[in-house]
Amino acid sequence: MQKKQQITLLIIYFLILCTQAQETNFVGNISLLTTQKEFSVSEDIRLEFIVKSDVRFNIYCSNSYGSSIIYPEINEDKVTFKIPKFLSKKRGLLTWKTTGLKTNISGSLFVNPLQQPKTIETYLGPPSIDAGAIDYTMLVVIPTDSLDNPIKDNSKVDVKSQFLKSERSTPVFTDKLIGYKNIYSPLKSGRMIISSESYGLNSKEFDVNIMPAIATNFKIYVKRNHDYADGNQITTFYTSVIKDRLNNVIIDGSFIEFYITNKKGNILKTTGTTINGVAHAKIIHPDFEENWSVKAYAIGISESNVLNLKFKKVIDDYTVDFNDNNRTIKIGPLESFMGQIIPDGLIVKLFIYKDKKLIETIFKESKAGFVEFNLNPNIFEDGVYDFMIKTAGIEKEFNSLKVW
Amino acid sequence: MVKTNRKIIRGVLMLTYVIIIGVLLFLVSSLYSFLNTGADRSKMLHTEVKKIDQYLPKVTWKDDGNEGRKISDQKVKSVENDYLDAWYVKHIAYKTNTRVGIEDYFTESARTNIYSILDYNKKNNITVESTTLKHNLDIEFFSEDGQLLVLTDTDALEYKKVFKDNLLILETTEVNTYRYILLLEDGFWRIRHMVKENSKPYKPQTLKATLAYNNIKGINYYPQATPWDMFGEDYDISIIDNDFKIINNAGLNTIRIFVQYEDFGKANVDYNKILKLKEVLDTAKKNNLKAVVTLFDFYGNYDVLDWTLNHRHAEKIVSAIKDHEALLAWDIKNEPNLDFDSRGKDNVIGWLNFMIDLIKDIDKVHPVTVGWSNTESATILKDKLDIISFHYYEDKEKFESDFIDLKHKIPNKPIVLQEFGLSSYSGIWRPFAGSEEKQANYYAEMQKVLTKNNISFMSWTLYDFDNVPKEVLGRLPWRTNPQKKFGFINSLGEKKLSYKHIAN
Repeated sequence: MQKKQQITLLIIYFLILCTQAQETNFVGNISLLTTQKEFSVSEDIRLEFIVKSDVRFNIYCSNSYGSSIIYPEINEDKVTFKIPKFLSKKRGLLTWKTTGLKTNISGSLFVNPLQQPKTIETYLGPPSIDAGAIDYTMLVVIPTDSLDNPIKDNSKVDVKSQFLKSERSTPVFTDKLIGYKNIYSPLKSGRMIISSESYGLNSKEFDVNIMPAIATNFKIYVKRNHDYADGNQITTFYTSVIKDRLNNVIIDGSFIEFYITNKKGNILKTTGTTINGVAHAKIIHPDFEENWSVKAYAIGISESNVLNLKFKKVIDDYTVDFNDNNRTIKIGPLESFMGQIIPDGLIVKLFIYKDKKLIETIFKESKAGFVEFNLNPNIFEDGVYDFMIKTAGIEKEFNSLKVW
Repeated sequence: MVKTNRKIIRGVLMLTYVIIIGVLLFLVSSLYSFLNTGADRSKMLHTEVKKIDQYLPKVTWKDDGNEGRKISDQKVKSVENDYLDAWYVKHIAYKTNTRVGIEDYFTESARTNIYSILDYNKKNNITVESTTLKHNLDIEFFSEDGQLLVLTDTDALEYKKVFKDNLLILETTEVNTYRYILLLEDGFWRIRHMVKENSKPYKPQTLKATLAYNNIKGINYYPQATPWDMFGEDYDISIIDNDFKIINNAGLNTIRIFVQYEDFGKANVDYNKILKLKEVLDTAKKNNLKAVVTLFDFYGNYDVLDWTLNHRHAEKIVSAIKDHEALLAWDIKNEPNLDFDSRGKDNVIGWLNFMIDLIKDIDKVHPVTVGWSNTESATILKDKLDIISFHYYEDKEKFESDFIDLKHKIPNKPIVLQEFGLSSYSGIWRPFAGSEEKQANYYAEMQKVLTKNNISFMSWTLYDFDNVPKEVLGRLPWRTNPQKKFGFINSLGEKKLSYKHIAN
């Protein structure tokens, strides 16, 4: 019984102390009446002061975005400041300070955002990723309330993703104003759809292109009508269906380069881009006997096997006639492997030497199986010359011919 | 006769024709050349960089990595740049209540928050002059696509002055912590969300620094040939060395030298000038002299938005020579109280206040003072300054009592008479005003008082000068001419009568 009395006494004493403390809360001539320290952005914030005498003052008020001066509503000894909406609607600390008093007092309030989001700002990037569960895209969400404040930290946001038959939903919690999730690519290429949901509000739908990953090694093949080096037919190289390591056909338009090394070690190059994983590249036949070794690359990514090609001589032999004081050199008929005249355009080269020194090289293309060179007496004076004729990989020499 | 007349007429006609054609040709060619000047091909692409330092608060980065994608140093630099620009346009906006530039640094939804405050302030004629002096930045999150980041600014030091109808009604210093979401839009990092998370009162911890010795016997020093331009093109260390020998031989132990704000390169301090300053201090040390270094000479803006630039200037100079053995004390500004009328007392004192904090933050050893031009102003900021310095050019009879008054007001800090002297000028602008005898007499009597009260002193100045730059006292000859004759040694190098009383 006594104990109970003692406790009640203690409580009463404590209450008295409290009221006293409140009364002595006067700083200068004013005292803050408002005890609430935390508000919500949707609330009207009022700061009430009790003033001892006819004290008039304003308050300086500063939120996250800026500062201003607020004027009071005065009701006898009570001075009320209604914080304007444009200051009180933003999340964060709101500081205030009286102005124009001998001893100014200051304080701060915390303005909390709403829990219920009105919009979910969503940022998704990069918009296309490689298949294979290594590459990922990142979804960043900023759920904002009806007053455009990021909602409270630690709010749950469900990140949903759909790909082919699988649908997934994983919760993330906002932290530092945002929530984010890394979404790893599936094994197959295609299109993934991503959206998020927070407190019943769904965001827009976003899609990510899941691209096939990079090419793996592949094979190459060749297609040609015949294997004669006629300088006219076209040889086509093509690849097998190029796939990534997970068997997805690589993306259309991938660039494949074919490197051809010939007998002399020189490199010829032709290129193609893939369609449905296959790249085609074309090159004209050589016009002389050749051995090619061909290898293709997706540069920096993968390579093919080596393909060896042989080109046979198209012409076995040809005749050369010297007429007109040896000033007209007629070559032909140039006949191909089946006995017919080879198509026009075969290059025939004539090298002219005097005193073992090359003095002139003349190129001509064949026409109707023949090529005729005329040595102009104004350029080639009368004398003794050596000639060499070269075409289709066959060289013929005619030494010490007198030209007059 | 007729023939000759005709010849004359023909000749005159031809001559006029030639002259007219000549004039026309000249006009056309000068028009042509006018149209072809001005446009320099190299300027067509506007490739020249036109960056001016406008706003350089102290920025420190917390380099502890971040969530999401790794961020490169170059990106961090561009975030810093845009973030500071955002502050700068915000300061300008609140100062002028206009919206210029806000849209470059705040996203569409964020800028409405600023606009609504600006509209209210404009309606009520409220302006806010503000600056930030320190930012401690940390990138907490950087998105994988490089378009979004979360930035915190912990304990940003903000200074604000709030005006209502152009009257200052509040001055406040806040230490605020902000968290931001920035988006990369049109190549700018723009603020999307901004949340003030914390706010603390500003409490600079000012350590007291003590003076190395209490019996300063000193002199304000400029070389004879280059007054107010000690570190300029005619800088010659051998002359300075020689002068320091004279000073030391005269029984003095201290010099006061001046660092000109613009001459030293403002916020981007010229390294060569610092080398010269160091060389002067080396020479002082060699001659057993210590130096009081006066900063911000010929500076007079004090505008709140100029502070960050001043701070970078002071920071570079102070950190460059704070460990020099010849350094005795920092004098922040010479006679700043003379700018009270033109620049506003609050501006100047606010400026000094933060400058003291800055310098004491960098140099915790050397004491800091301000060279007040009279005893009345010498009590300003007395609690913050380590040494109280004042100048005395009034009646020497009143000096002792004025000093005792001051000592009474500030009993616990060393007080230094940082400038005093008398011109020996007598001439057309002030006939019979001064003479070498009067000057010598002045010093003799002053020294008696100084010795009696054991007062540290620094007299003005060693030499008579041949010319005084117009920035010092203007162009009026009745003001500049007396200023030329304050020396103990005349411009020919001969000791004046007062030289006997250079020290006590």
